[in-house]
Amino acid sequence: MWVYIVRRLAWLPLLLLAVSFITFTLGRFGPGDPVIVMLGNRYDPDSQVTKNLRRELGLDRPFHVQYVDYVWNFVQGDFGESLRFRGQAVKGLILKKMWVSAQLSIAAMIVAVGVGLPLGFWIAHWQGRWQDPATVTVALMLMSVPIMVTVPGLLWVFCLKLHWVPCSGWGGFFDARILVPAITMGVPGIAVFVRLMRASTLDVLGQDFIRTAKSKGLEPKVVGSRHVARNAMIPIITILSFSLAGLISGSFIVETILGVPGIGRFAVESVFNRDYPVIMAVTLIAASAFVLANLAADIAYAFVDPRIRYN
Amino acid sequence: MKKLLYLLFVLVSVAAVACGDSGSSEDDATTAPSTGASLLSDTPAPSSADDAAAPSDDNAASVETSETDQVVTEAPAREFTEPLSGGVFRRLWADPPTLDPHLTSDTTSAGVVVEVFSGLVALNVDLQLVPDIAESWTIDDGVVYTFKLRPNARFHNGKPVTAADFKWSLERAADPKTASPVADTYLNDIVGAMDFIEGNASEISGIKVIDDRTLQITIDAPKAYFLAKLTYPTAYVLDQETVEAGGRSWWVDNPVGTGAFKLAEYRIGERIILERNDDYYRELALLDSIVMNLAGGQSMAMYENDEIDITGVGLFDLDRVLDPTEPLNQDLVIAPPGFSVSYIGFNTTKPPFDDPKFRQALNHAVDKELIATEVLSELVQPAYSVLPPGFPGYTDEIKGLMYDPDLAKQLLEESQYADADSRPRIVVTVPGTGGTIGLDLEVILEMWKQTLGVEVEIQQVEWATYLEDLEDQKFQAFAGLGWEADYPDPQDFLDILFHSESGINHGAYSNPAVDSVLEEARTEPDVLRRIELYHEAEQLIVNDAAWVPMWFTGERYALVKPNVEGYAMTPMIVPKLQEIKIN
Repeated sequence: MWVYIVRRLAWLPLLLLAVSFITFTLGRFGPGDPVIVMLGNRYDPDSQVTKNLRRELGLDRPFHVQYVDYVWNFVQGDFGESLRFRGQAVKGLILKKMWVSAQLSIAAMIVAVGVGLPLGFWIAHWQGRWQDPATVTVALMLMSVPIMVTVPGLLWVFCLKLHWVPCSGWGGFFDARILVPAITMGVPGIAVFVRLMRASTLDVLGQDFIRTAKSKGLEPKVVGSRHVARNAMIPIITILSFSLAGLISGSFIVETILGVPGIGRFAVESVFNRDYPVIMAVTLIAASAFVLANLAADIAYAFVDPRIRYN
Repeated sequence: MKKLLYLLFVLVSVAAVACGDSGSSEDDATTAPSTGASLLSDTPAPSSADDAAAPSDDNAASVETSETDQVVTEAPAREFTEPLSGGVFRRLWADPPTLDPHLTSDTTSAGVVVEVFSGLVALNVDLQLVPDIAESWTIDDGVVYTFKLRPNARFHNGKPVTAADFKWSLERAADPKTASPVADTYLNDIVGAMDFIEGNASEISGIKVIDDRTLQITIDAPKAYFLAKLTYPTAYVLDQETVEAGGRSWWVDNPVGTGAFKLAEYRIGERIILERNDDYYRELALLDSIVMNLAGGQSMAMYENDEIDITGVGLFDLDRVLDPTEPLNQDLVIAPPGFSVSYIGFNTTKPPFDDPKFRQALNHAVDKELIATEVLSELVQPAYSVLPPGFPGYTDEIKGLMYDPDLAKQLLEESQYADADSRPRIVVTVPGTGGTIGLDLEVILEMWKQTLGVEVEIQQVEWATYLEDLEDQKFQAFAGLGWEADYPDPQDFLDILFHSESGINHGAYSNPAVDSVLEEARTEPDVLRRIELYHEAEQLIVNDAAWVPMWFTGERYALVKPNVEGYAMTPMIVPKLQEIKIN
């Protein structure tokens, strides 16, 4: 098991190197650069100001020097300085934004999982009755409602009519303002978890060991919790752990409309502004998170299902 | 069959995951543009649906300010006997790219910087030049400015402001290592400044410290607009010790300024709090503090929910707000035009735009009055010239190329591109990422087609790419741009945009007659004669149809809470929050 984990982790640096090279190259050779954005329609490539800016930001150096320099600093834990917010360290900027997005994603996940899993488990036992298709249909309909409809709807109810929450903004996990974005992002997920849990539960219900458990006289409740639910969780964990990676990537749309200062919105703005160090850092962190979440999923399988072994 | 069903289920689940968890990425593509433009533009009132609807935001947001609260009321005279308990003023703002005055080049940063820092001179809310840290000055031969500093001017850390602080600050602003994006725009008139910006001098020779309270600045020629340039943050004074101790992020950790407010808190993406500076050298501000919400959101909804005290009104909310029976109507404030103009630019070296007759025909074929009233609900004012109304040097005597379909057809016939079959393909490029190009532009293209039979294609290019190609003069014609004054002087519009040697004359417009008039105006000491020269240049430019001028950001509507007193709406960013009081 440990050997397996170490081997998987050993791939991470190589992967990051590849990702960083591709991102860096795309940024430098793509059209536009941060100096142009900074100067707007006053940009003049021959002006002294343009030259001074390029030199001061290190953009006048050869490509390979810039890349090696970046990687070397990155290895030492220095993510550089934002080009858009000059003088601000990238690390401080994005950690704050990621923490915001992570809190929001967790809240959304609580909505999706908290409603979806029990519901899926429950309707699996009602297969063939009206409760089953009715629930799935409602969940799918909710999922299909676009954000452009969900958000104004929720705002109209919670903000303008009930006055429970301010219309937008952010105050942290325990602030009421998290309600609208969390519901907006969480509700579509309910259908995912309902369907997955339902299918997974049905699959387990038909297994021999369930019949055995029932026939040896176990209480239905014990069969449900110890045998059915536990085994039905295995495929769910995969989805959950991939969602974990999504925790830090945020949602551009929801964050923008509802004024949540998260990483999704920040990353897109950074691309528009050609803020290379920020784009690099966000990409690399997202890549790492994806790899680690994947690994976490594999490890979790082993815990949930003792039959799975990694060697 | 069962397998197939299972596969189907898997597919549905995968699709469900894709839509559910990361569905936003799909939505991004469709909704990003409307918000995108304002994100790029660093607009002070961030990306709300209503703002996106305001026409000038759509068209020119990327370059000009869209501070929706431009000019309105005269600030009522203050009563100085009142105790200082002015309350808290709340507004929506966006994360400033910097609060370092010397690096400030955008309105979002400037709106905060001018309240926290200050310089020798300032513009008041009526845009008159007033003494700030300099209490008086003399001008010799039009080129030697001697400033006398106030004895009581202090930094927020208590240190007195001296002439040496100013010399250090101006040199720091111009230092190649500071890499200020606007140093040459605002400081280039000072003798020796360009040498210093180029890194060829150890000091700016034109700045001399006479004594602690006397500063002498020599400029290269008599220029009426020099003092106006000094009102910009690039020329503000900073505390050498603070800046050098704090490194590049000094303004985040320890923003010591001289202004009427101190920066009490800055939390990125959350809020900026300014508090009254009780040691200010001029009349103290009335407000206790200003809370700027940086998290963004729907400005109008937040206003209605009493979260902020001021908001702009977009096209979609306009009918409701203009309805006298609506309670919101009581808060309505109407702002005269801002100092910016939006336009369609032509590359005068590329066919068919190398023929002035063709350009004139396009101008005469556009019924701007119709668009302004019917399409844009009079949120804008049609432009037939370059300088915005109210701007120094503005005159209503410029003869514009008015709507005249018959003349337009005649001019097209006379042009060398009269024949539609041999006419080159025409592409107008606008910045954007897939969203609407703006109602007004759509209507203009339709008018060209119907009146002249001229077909025009639209190409959308992402903002950073657009700027690069614009500079390389790759576009045949371009729109979605505006120009906003840096300082109140006609030189900032006419010379910078239309002199053939200007680096930002994007249409490659060149007329030797215009060049010579503009050059003469640069150093003309007689103010009236100088203004006349600019009138002459502007008329020539309009006659040549270098652009289709579209709009002056016309009457804009804003809402201000009734308990806010003294909020002056200005067409430029000037220090003004110290005038406000909350009742």
